[in-house]
Amino acid sequence: MTSTTATAPPPALMRLSPDNWKLAILVGLIVSVIAAIALPASASFWIIGAMAAMIGAAFVVNAYRRKYYGGLLVAPAIAVLFVMNIFPLLWSLGLSFYAYQSNQQSIRFVGLANYIKVLTNDIAAPANWAALVNTAMFVVLTVTAQMIVGFLLAMMFAKQFPLRKYLLILVLTPMMLSVVASGVFFTYYYDPTFGILSYVVNAITGGQFILMSSKVGAVAGIVFADAWMWSPFVMLLVLAGLVSVPKYLYEAAAIDRVSKWRQFWTITFPYIRGLLMLALLFRTIEAFKLADLVILLTKGGNDTMTISYHLIRIANEQNKTSEGAAISYLMLFMVIVLTNLYLYIANRRSQGA
Amino acid sequence: MTVVTKMKGFAAAAGLAATLMTGGATYALAEEVTLTMAVPDWPPTRIMKKFFDEQYKPKSGNTVKLDVDFIPWPDFYTRVNASLTSGEQKYNFIVSDSQWLGAFVEGGYYRKINDLLDADPEFKKTLMSVHPAPLAAYSTYPYKSENYYGFPQFPDVLVNYGRKDILCHEEEQKNFQAKYGKKLPCTGEELDAMTWDDFKNVGEFFRRKKGEMLAGAPAEDDFYGIAFQAGKGYDFSSMQINGFIWQMGGNVWDETQAPTGQAEGVVNSPEAVAALEKYLSLLEYMPPVAKTGTMDIFKSDELFREGKVAMNIDWIGLGEASLDPKSSKVSDKLVFGQMPGTMGPDGKMIRWSNIGGQPFVLTTWTTPEQTTEAVEFVKWWLSNDIQHQFAAGGGQSAVKEVYEDPKYVTYRPWNRAWAPQLDWQKDVWHVPQFFELLTQQQDQFDLAITGKQDAKTTLDNIAKFQQDLLTNAGLIQ
Repeated sequence: MTSTTATAPPPALMRLSPDNWKLAILVGLIVSVIAAIALPASASFWIIGAMAAMIGAAFVVNAYRRKYYGGLLVAPAIAVLFVMNIFPLLWSLGLSFYAYQSNQQSIRFVGLANYIKVLTNDIAAPANWAALVNTAMFVVLTVTAQMIVGFLLAMMFAKQFPLRKYLLILVLTPMMLSVVASGVFFTYYYDPTFGILSYVVNAITGGQFILMSSKVGAVAGIVFADAWMWSPFVMLLVLAGLVSVPKYLYEAAAIDRVSKWRQFWTITFPYIRGLLMLALLFRTIEAFKLADLVILLTKGGNDTMTISYHLIRIANEQNKTSEGAAISYLMLFMVIVLTNLYLYIANRRSQGA
Repeated sequence: MTVVTKMKGFAAAAGLAATLMTGGATYALAEEVTLTMAVPDWPPTRIMKKFFDEQYKPKSGNTVKLDVDFIPWPDFYTRVNASLTSGEQKYNFIVSDSQWLGAFVEGGYYRKINDLLDADPEFKKTLMSVHPAPLAAYSTYPYKSENYYGFPQFPDVLVNYGRKDILCHEEEQKNFQAKYGKKLPCTGEELDAMTWDDFKNVGEFFRRKKGEMLAGAPAEDDFYGIAFQAGKGYDFSSMQINGFIWQMGGNVWDETQAPTGQAEGVVNSPEAVAALEKYLSLLEYMPPVAKTGTMDIFKSDELFREGKVAMNIDWIGLGEASLDPKSSKVSDKLVFGQMPGTMGPDGKMIRWSNIGGQPFVLTTWTTPEQTTEAVEFVKWWLSNDIQHQFAAGGGQSAVKEVYEDPKYVTYRPWNRAWAPQLDWQKDVWHVPQFFELLTQQQDQFDLAITGKQDAKTTLDNIAKFQQDLLTNAGLIQ
């Protein structure tokens, strides 16, 4: 690659030319602010959108004239990312500072009132905290269950045995099923009248067994269903790690008469640790968003309300858009902090090792 | 592609365009109007669409099309809500639960039809031929005001589904008489005469373990006497509990009394607490799923169709499946009566019940041409002939002349309970805050149903929440 140094100098701020992105930003900002103040929201929205497009176009022309082809090639991806992700994200951040309900036409700036309500209101806050505590509980329980089961399954499938291929397909099936299908399956599985679980337990104990009638039972039911669906995912990742361990290391260890236990900790584990951490990260983030199974199995009853489901009810069903946005941002903040904390610990460990 | 084929392609495209344009021009003389409609996917709306396609001839001579989106029930509210609030303005007609009226009227989505009623006396006469209780529930916001919005699509009430083979069995009859000193209700009329205490007796009497004798044969599975809705989702306990509360002299927060009507002291009045206690006391005679908070209207219906209970209180709307031998083990053993009532001090039965069913409404962005056609369509829909056909095909009609016709009770076995129940129908709130009121109430009722808290605490919590929310909304002063 040769760097092209013979590019035109950047245009002066006040020169009117299609590549003058500085001027475009300036004009865009001024026009947007005026439009936002002077015009009704329905008109200013489009004017601000047009200004954003104009600034984008100025950047593109600028990149083209100065031969920043790398930037140009990435531009479509950035544009899509901006339109589909960043813009809605910023939009909802903005909404969280207003009193706005999607089924009503009025909107009013309230500053941090939504956040204050979510965290301190004597009716809203306890519900949020309870849902958050439940979510934390589900994160710990479901992720632990999935990691253990997934890891054991992977250890099993790393070895060769008859029918391995078919069993593997069978074990992977739950992950590919739609959550709704599995959810409905499990509602019948746990049903005290039609379900096989109560049937078996009743036959043994002679009593009337109702799994979903207590918090412990309901949580166990949800955790089991979630682990059933997502353990194969952990297994796949761990299996990929196990397969990548070079055989000669084990052979060398065998010659040195290293015990199986030490072989595992000194050879196998270092190879799969990265993937285990990845699985843990993915599943933790997913578990934080758990709502589907709760909706299908308990509708949040027996104190199994999670923060995601709570959010769906507030934002989508009750149309309290701003309050929902505030909760989402608090949630997003927590997930980011947790993820970074986790990455920090993971990195320090791998450097120390 | 060579130049020649390209040219041929152009020629063909031009020709096609020309025919389309001329064709379109001649077609445009008889105007084409499309009415788009969002409906839940179930028989009553399927029948409506079928009748429209087969029979509807617009008087204006225009070609009118009804473009219907069939949306599954569990998604229905979410989808309609998303469509309306996103501003996509997709639908001209929307089938709406009556409670949604306030939320979507205030949002500016549902069109007030008073001007259309005033402009067209025939239209007004048609709408006013609907029984006043369902009309107020389905059409007015604020509830029971003179502002009209909707037209009945499928009116519905709660009825008592019974199993003749069990209830009329000689030995069971004898044993019941011996135990309670009363006849075990067996015919429709006897079901009508039941109070909640009789209902409880039936529940207690028919609690059978697997293998115990039931109607002359050993029970194949555990058997239960009674069932009704006790689910946490949507409104799957409120609709039943409200009936108890009204029958026993309590009340829910009454929006027709706003802004002076209160929630605290009304919602948790001693009468309401007693009513909720009564409701809760019946749960122990029901299939065990009642204790999990997941026994919604679909679950209790399924238990009934699978032959696990002797009596079930449920909406007529779910009835067709119980008549069909393919989906019902009890299709040939059915008897229907009114929902049980509460005996008043004067010896007369009090039967208040929460109305079910749905109206359909017009949206505000419907153009004048579409509105004209829509009104004609509604007049046609509510005409006696079509309402009779609808009822005969599995629907219900709230039009007086239709349900008072002697033919009406012959259409379906539950129709005998229909007309007498209509007078006793009330509705819950139509206010925009209904969903918050409903979700919180359902959560609290669920705690009571699953045995986490008693009736008094439950209603105290609900009253406090409602008082707070409605005061902030300016509906209580």
